[in-house]
Amino acid sequence: MHNLLNFLVKHVSWFVFIFYVIISCVLLFNNNPYQQSVYLTSANGVSASVFNLYSSVTSYFNLRQINNELQQRNAALEMQVIDLNKQVDNLKLQFPDTTIQPIVRQYDYVVANVISNSVSQPYNYITIDRGARDGIEPEMGVVDHNGVVGIVNAVGNHSARIISLLNPYMRLSCKVKRNNYFGTMTWDGRSPEYATLQELPKQGRYIKGDTVVTSGYSAVFPEGIIVGYVVGKAQDFNGSFVSLKVKLATNFMQLSTVRAVKNRMKVELKALETKDENKQALEQQKAQESKKKKLEREAAKKAAAAQSNGKEAKKQ
Amino acid sequence: MTKTILQFVVIGILLILAQVICSKILLFGVATPFIFIYLILRLPVYFSKNWTYTIAFVLGFIVDLFGNTMGMNALACTLLAALRQPVYNAYFTRDDDTSNPMPSIAELGIGGYMKYMSTMVLIYCTALFLIQAFSLHNFPLTLLRIVASSALTILLLFGIDSLVSTQREERL
Repeated sequence: MHNLLNFLVKHVSWFVFIFYVIISCVLLFNNNPYQQSVYLTSANGVSASVFNLYSSVTSYFNLRQINNELQQRNAALEMQVIDLNKQVDNLKLQFPDTTIQPIVRQYDYVVANVISNSVSQPYNYITIDRGARDGIEPEMGVVDHNGVVGIVNAVGNHSARIISLLNPYMRLSCKVKRNNYFGTMTWDGRSPEYATLQELPKQGRYIKGDTVVTSGYSAVFPEGIIVGYVVGKAQDFNGSFVSLKVKLATNFMQLSTVRAVKNRMKVELKALETKDENKQALEQQKAQESKKKKLEREAAKKAAAAQSNGKEAKKQ
Repeated sequence: MTKTILQFVVIGILLILAQVICSKILLFGVATPFIFIYLILRLPVYFSKNWTYTIAFVLGFIVDLFGNTMGMNALACTLLAALRQPVYNAYFTRDDDTSNPMPSIAELGIGGYMKYMSTMVLIYCTALFLIQAFSLHNFPLTLLRIVASSALTILLLFGIDSLVSTQREERL
């Protein structure tokens, strides 16, 4: 004990130094997004391999339940397909002349395994074993077979970090499926099973058991992916809005396989936006040119008038 | 003693205020002066290590607060404070155990002081820009920024030094 104290007293300046360096690093990584992302992509490479090993063992544990859930989901989807086919047949009978055109597929999925996950932290993140090499990009939405999981935040070559829905930084635009009123989903940091849907208009009626789905207003998630179910009564939120307690559809404590949503239209939409800008620039240019031409014409007229005046004067 | 401490505090506040403006300067797109480290350079060489670290960290932290570069200057300053004594010992030998020189032109001679100061400034700029870039991607640009900023800082520090030391001599 005495030796230990002696050691501490002798090297106290080292501890002070290390203490300050750690504080600086914490400040550095928490407040500067660039350093954070570089650190994450390099450090994630190391931690990803460790997590991978861990999850390759533990991923077998929940297989039975996941299998059940998948079968249920499969059954529901099959029923939906049958229903839709019936509707299509009915419509064909009603309108025999129309040909059904194939719909352009807007969204692609990349399937990935969760290799690290937390639900008990104030800010939760998830790591998956697919990265930039597999087509994962920042700001892609992530879902699993039950519902929305989160949004991709930092991407490494073979791993990516997802901001979980259980993170106060995450704000998801959602709507109540029954009446299409939309609000913002946030997590209050308490239970991993519940979140709050805020900024809903007051005039809407919200019933327990209403399904909450993504609104599709951002290009991150397709419209209509299940987020959760309303469980509480509407509470006053900022006067003219109300907030609802929502039970999340996704079971964050047993995440295993997730899908990252790739929006094929994203590039196209961006291109369109820039096109608009180009158009505006062209129009401006045209307007300027026509102005110039007008001025030139007027100048030419004046000159001609002056010349004719001169000629007349000479004649006289 | 009290007078020296007071002097240090006043110089420190002035330097921090000046640094707030200096941090906005980007001469030729590469050079930024870091004059506030003058205070760390001028602390007595065998000053308490813990206090040196603390002063350096707080200085860096305040500059970070103003420059919105959380942690960068604080980390670089702490590293600089740690390397202060080794750099001094590499250039000069301690005459006797009781002496505690305050690095200055009068104390070390212009050549010695120049060596000490340039090394320290170079260390600081290297640390800061490496932390800022945080990768070896585009390293030539980082290197250019380190060299240019060091040169500008050394130039300005000599100016500050002449101001401060003339005042002190007049008072004496």
